[in-house]
Amino acid sequence: MPVSSLNSQKQKTSLVTLVGPPNSGKSTLYNLLSGSKAKTVNYPGSTIEYSISRFLKHFDVQAALVDSPGIVSLMPDSPEEKLSIDYLFSHPKYGSPDLIVITADASQLSRHLFLVQQVIDTNAKVIVALTMIDLLNKKGYDISVNRLNQLLKCDVIPVNGRNGKGLDNLIDSIKKNLKKKKSKVIYNYKNDYGTKLVDIYKTTEFIENEVLYPIGEGAKQKTADNDLLYDELKIKSDIIKIKPDERTLKLDRLFLNKYWGILIFLLIMASVFTSIFWLAAPLMDIVDLLFTTLSNNVTTLFGETWFSNLLSDGIITGVGSVLIFIPQIMILFLLLGFLEDTGYLARGAMLVDRPLSKIGLNGKSFVPMLSGFACAIPAIMATRTIKNKKERFLTIFIIPLMSCSARLPVYALLLAFLLHGSPFLSGITLALIYLFSITSSLIIAGIINKYQSKIIKVKDSSSFILELPTYRLPNIKNVIRNTITNANHYVKRAGPIIIIFSLVIWFLTYFPNSNPVITNSGDLSKKEVLELKSSERLTNSYASMIGNFIEPVMKPLGMDWRIGVSIITTFAAREVFVSSMAMIFKVTDTEGDLRTSIVDAMKNAKIKDTNKKLFTTSTVIGLIVFFVFALQCISTIAVSKKETGGWRLPILQLVIFTTMAYVLTFITVNGLKLFGVE
Amino acid sequence: MTAADLEFGQKATIRNIDLTHPSSQRILEFGFTPGQEIELLNKTLFNDPISISVRGSLIALRKDDAESIQI
Repeated sequence: MPVSSLNSQKQKTSLVTLVGPPNSGKSTLYNLLSGSKAKTVNYPGSTIEYSISRFLKHFDVQAALVDSPGIVSLMPDSPEEKLSIDYLFSHPKYGSPDLIVITADASQLSRHLFLVQQVIDTNAKVIVALTMIDLLNKKGYDISVNRLNQLLKCDVIPVNGRNGKGLDNLIDSIKKNLKKKKSKVIYNYKNDYGTKLVDIYKTTEFIENEVLYPIGEGAKQKTADNDLLYDELKIKSDIIKIKPDERTLKLDRLFLNKYWGILIFLLIMASVFTSIFWLAAPLMDIVDLLFTTLSNNVTTLFGETWFSNLLSDGIITGVGSVLIFIPQIMILFLLLGFLEDTGYLARGAMLVDRPLSKIGLNGKSFVPMLSGFACAIPAIMATRTIKNKKERFLTIFIIPLMSCSARLPVYALLLAFLLHGSPFLSGITLALIYLFSITSSLIIAGIINKYQSKIIKVKDSSSFILELPTYRLPNIKNVIRNTITNANHYVKRAGPIIIIFSLVIWFLTYFPNSNPVITNSGDLSKKEVLELKSSERLTNSYASMIGNFIEPVMKPLGMDWRIGVSIITTFAAREVFVSSMAMIFKVTDTEGDLRTSIVDAMKNAKIKDTNKKLFTTSTVIGLIVFFVFALQCISTIAVSKKETGGWRLPILQLVIFTTMAYVLTFITVNGLKLFGVE
Repeated sequence: MTAADLEFGQKATIRNIDLTHPSSQRILEFGFTPGQEIELLNKTLFNDPISISVRGSLIALRKDDAESIQI
């Protein structure tokens, strides 16, 4: 039985769809109305998302509630937008909505009624939820809801998303409208849209002029819909000319100032960046500790069997590697949510749009790119704010080049080898590595942009038109809710793929020599025997076979299969490099500092059958270069696949960045040798 | 003249929207229709993008996009 008929059979519940332009308070309203079981789903075959849930129980509305993506008009501008508009009226799973609730910002009425008018023209059953009346009052006007109701010929309900005022009236109206017969929606794109558009605006201007009346600047008028007051004040007023919010204009003079604006922007971004880095670190340590303890306990409980190892090193570590990113994701989205809710984020995007547009990016690419320095996973998720598909994909494409925090332990180890632990030199070199990774990623973005028709394969004419919302205090509840939703997404979407890949890597590193024999001459402790065992196991594992297989590839880099295996294991997570090195070079002395022990082991490692040192200055610098470019992180690949809706982009990223890493490492190592640096 | 030529704080009335411009539809949808009064409120570091007020709202747009707004 086709899915559609299945659904139409059980479709006894009604469907209420929320529609509204960006910044109209639509999501806030959705959060106020929807129950806890909200789901976020993709439209089939696309990356466009919508949320669906039941109404909160105490509202007693027997209907499903859909939150559609924010749109400016019903005329699509891109294939993605066409899809969201088509599905608005005929959802592939839920059919056409019984009722559409449109949010409209009363403080920019003629602009927001534009969409309202378009939806009403489709003959759909409509309720208008009028938001931000407090802002309108601040601008010196009030609105006659009755008059608007008459003119639009549909229910108009003032709602305050901050304190929930008016919500009960909205619910009553929803219930009442759901009882009425469903109307037949007529909706098609018109060719004469350009002129039609101007006509619609003429209508909304007329309505705005009719329903608004001046109450004096800054007056605190209660919106009791006082018709007498309306009649009295309306006569006196001529043409309504709403001005932008005064406070917003003043703040913009600072925040969008040519010089101060940039400085403030950099300061804000620097603090966001450092917070994802430093605030998340202790939380990540807790997650890490939790899963390490759990994994150790399993080993103690079940003994040293393949099953216990699967549990501890495969599943528990796999789940841990999913959850370890939660602190960064939450902190990032919490901070971005605050910045967005205040209205600042749109300004930030405006400030950096120009330089980024030079390399085919968008002002909105900045924050995701910056977040990439903490972790590519939340960063790629944050690109959803970029409407233009080409720019969004290009941003996703280069995010893995940002030096993420998982690379830090690797750099720390390699720098400890190179610089003999001098903290000063290490700090400077680390800064240089970051600078190097930023510069090269920008250059690569420019190159990829040049060939984007072949790589990204998305055509979208670049433009930057963005509403700068009125500055407001952030709605904390909303921000927290969105943060939780984002964390939830990540776990549900990327989680399974990450765990599966972790299991694959576990399998490759555990089998076939799952239980190696260690001859204990008596002077080894139980712990040392275990460490030797896992070291033996890895040395004879499938992973090391692959490592041996790729040794011819590693040789030109002056490296051997052992480094190859360590690099293969980093696909689980880059920082695993350190523990893999420890395993493979049989570092058993964990009494002291692990890093120092590995560095010592590295210093003594020799190339097979020769007396030549494996780790030299040139190979270690080469390794750093490799880590700067290579995409060796399955989580990134998984999220990139989810967010781009296909395997094309992640596979290209993997191939291009890893090839580039290889070639550049080759050039570095052999170039250094040429200049006499061993 | 187009909105891209406006100076800081300069006001103008929209004469027409260039419908051959690729961004014209978006521009119209954002409320830039003939007859509306606009004002250039901010220019960023490279004088681009700019922010313009229309219908009581602030819109940031690139100069390329603003060129479709004839004043």
